[in-house]
Amino acid sequence: MTSAVGRVGTLAVPARRVGKLQREGRAAYLFLAPALVFFCVFLILPFIFAIVLAFSDWGGFDLGTLKWAGTANFGDVLSFDGTFVKPILVNTLLFAFGSVFLATFGSVLVAYCIDRLAFQGFWRVLYFLPVVATVVAIGNVWKMMYQPAGLINGVLNKLGVNSIGFLSDASYALPSVTVVQAWASIGGAVLILTAGLKAIPEMYYEAAEVDGANSWHMFWSITLPLLRPALLFVLITQFIGGLQSFALIIVMTGDGGPVNATNVAAFEMYQRAFKYGAWGTASAMAMVLFVIILAITLLQLWIARRRGEETS
Amino acid sequence: MRISRGLRLAVALGLFATAAACGGGGDAGGSGDKVELTLLSHYSDGPSKEGLDKMIQQWNKENPKVQVKAQVVKFDDLLTTMTVRQTGGRGADIVSAYGLWGGQLMKANVVAKVPDDIATKIKAEYSPAALGAVTTGDTLLGYPTELNTYVLFYNKKILAAAGVSKPPTTWAELADAAKKTVKRDAKGNIQVEGLSLIQDGDNKSVHPFLSLLDAAGGKFLGSDGTAQFDNAQGKAALKFEADLAAAKATNPSIMPTKQFRSGGVAMAIQAGWWIGSLKTQMKDKYSSDVGVTAIPGPTAGSKGSLAYGFFMGVNQRSKHGDEAWKFLTWMNEHKAADGTVTETGKWLADQGLIPPRTADQAAYKKTLSDPNMAPIYDAATYAMAEPNQPGAYEAKTALHNAIMGVLADGKNPDDALSQAAKAVKPQ
Repeated sequence: MTSAVGRVGTLAVPARRVGKLQREGRAAYLFLAPALVFFCVFLILPFIFAIVLAFSDWGGFDLGTLKWAGTANFGDVLSFDGTFVKPILVNTLLFAFGSVFLATFGSVLVAYCIDRLAFQGFWRVLYFLPVVATVVAIGNVWKMMYQPAGLINGVLNKLGVNSIGFLSDASYALPSVTVVQAWASIGGAVLILTAGLKAIPEMYYEAAEVDGANSWHMFWSITLPLLRPALLFVLITQFIGGLQSFALIIVMTGDGGPVNATNVAAFEMYQRAFKYGAWGTASAMAMVLFVIILAITLLQLWIARRRGEETS
Repeated sequence: MRISRGLRLAVALGLFATAAACGGGGDAGGSGDKVELTLLSHYSDGPSKEGLDKMIQQWNKENPKVQVKAQVVKFDDLLTTMTVRQTGGRGADIVSAYGLWGGQLMKANVVAKVPDDIATKIKAEYSPAALGAVTTGDTLLGYPTELNTYVLFYNKKILAAAGVSKPPTTWAELADAAKKTVKRDAKGNIQVEGLSLIQDGDNKSVHPFLSLLDAAGGKFLGSDGTAQFDNAQGKAALKFEADLAAAKATNPSIMPTKQFRSGGVAMAIQAGWWIGSLKTQMKDKYSSDVGVTAIPGPTAGSKGSLAYGFFMGVNQRSKHGDEAWKFLTWMNEHKAADGTVTETGKWLADQGLIPPRTADQAAYKKTLSDPNMAPIYDAATYAMAEPNQPGAYEAKTALHNAIMGVLADGKNPDDALSQAAKAVKPQ
């Protein structure tokens, strides 16, 4: 009896609480509704539409002309006779890896130096400026500097080196735009890494100093390991940004040239869809890129988790 | 309970705001008896906009029940704007488009079939080059408007200083003049480029190459969209370009539209519209420095050119197709004030373009005050019309990559052409 009364009592209280929770839950969903509708309309629906298009033949303009194409678009895109796998996908990966490597290396160096300088706010603002500037401005400034009669070739000529066709020579074009992408993204990474550096307790350095460690040892054994969560975040975001890069290429080279040397996946998708009206092929490319980005991001997370780190 | 009502109200307002933000108003096609036609084009500034606006104003004044409203975007945004608006159900009633896009627009049911009576008149009254540039297969896409042909521009003073007394008439003479006029400094930087083989804009190497291909008697694409350039004529034309690149007499990193006016380019294969820009930029120096001649071929007497065009057609989804065709017919047929040429012909000629109508061309050709215009008009009689079937744009890009591989990367011309031909996929 006691137990029955007790059970009724314990059921009665939660029932009221459950009712309240349900009301609150409904209210929460209702408050979220505008954002969810926005999310669905501008993210989920286009994504589903892109999946449908990837398996279709569609020239744009009229949805009535959409035809089922099966996996033909993927066959075209992934064919080794075509240009998407090589050079475009290869360019995309080289561009992303190259810019991430340069930006991460540069930002760690800059953040570490700033952490040891006076007027840290000033230095951070200085390095953050390229992030504030538009890609169009950055691309055009670097484009002018890379010109045969531009600043960089001027310096090379003064040093007795012949001019280099940074954007017109197929061998130099991709490294040239990769450097610009890295330069433009250092600022954001510096900000995140500086915050990471500030979070490392000073006592570790004091203890290391007592043990006689030099600056290099402290950097290698304390700073770098404790900076890994921030580094992981920087690596993932920069890598995704690098793989999706589009605006810088179009500003600096116009057509992904010379000879597809700077053509990357996002730019090729744009060309296929908006220039050639090959929406199916463009969407298939988008799906391939999506899978690659997802796989690389999961790989990065898996490696980090094996070492017990999270981006928090 | 009151809170719950408040919540519902807030959510409803939120949803309403979202719907309002996501939704868009449709184009008002007309109110009552009045019809409003929209005309989307790239005639966004200068004489092109003024001339078109003038014609539209006259029509609107004379036809109060059918009003035309011009909508303009830059050329670079025209195809994207058409794509987005058409897909969203907000396409313009009348579209002005580049002939190369014709096949794509036809395949996607964007442009309506030209009524038979109008098509018959157009076919009878317009030049073959203009018709070819705006016809896909056997289908005429609309009224031909802009027509451009390619010619050889040269700097008379640079050629004379290099000992070249007359403009080249064969490929051998052209190569010789290019090699004689090229100048480099001690560091290898080009001071004067001998012959420019690129043009400003999309697929920049293709139009000059196709002009040379035409001069050699070759073709770009067959009527079924298959590649026709991977043959003796195509290889000869690309080898000609490769030899100039190897001799460093041409360099694709130099943009003639920027360097020619200041004497940085001796010769350039360019479209006729360029003449208007040169006149504005070079002022007095134009008549003393600039010469224009036909693009020579491999043998004496042979010459070639490429013709590309624009057209104005009616949107298949327009609710006012009849009115749109009436306006286009009036726009393209009514005479200018002097009664000798059509107003559209005058509008185009005022921009330095070739009027596509044969009678207008003949009238203007008789009274050309600038001798440099004559080769541009002549080219309209023999130029290869730019193919525009579905897939032509992609084929053009494949060819562009092949040519740039030869010019900028030293690739073998035969291999490059063969690779480009494989990338051409008829649709």
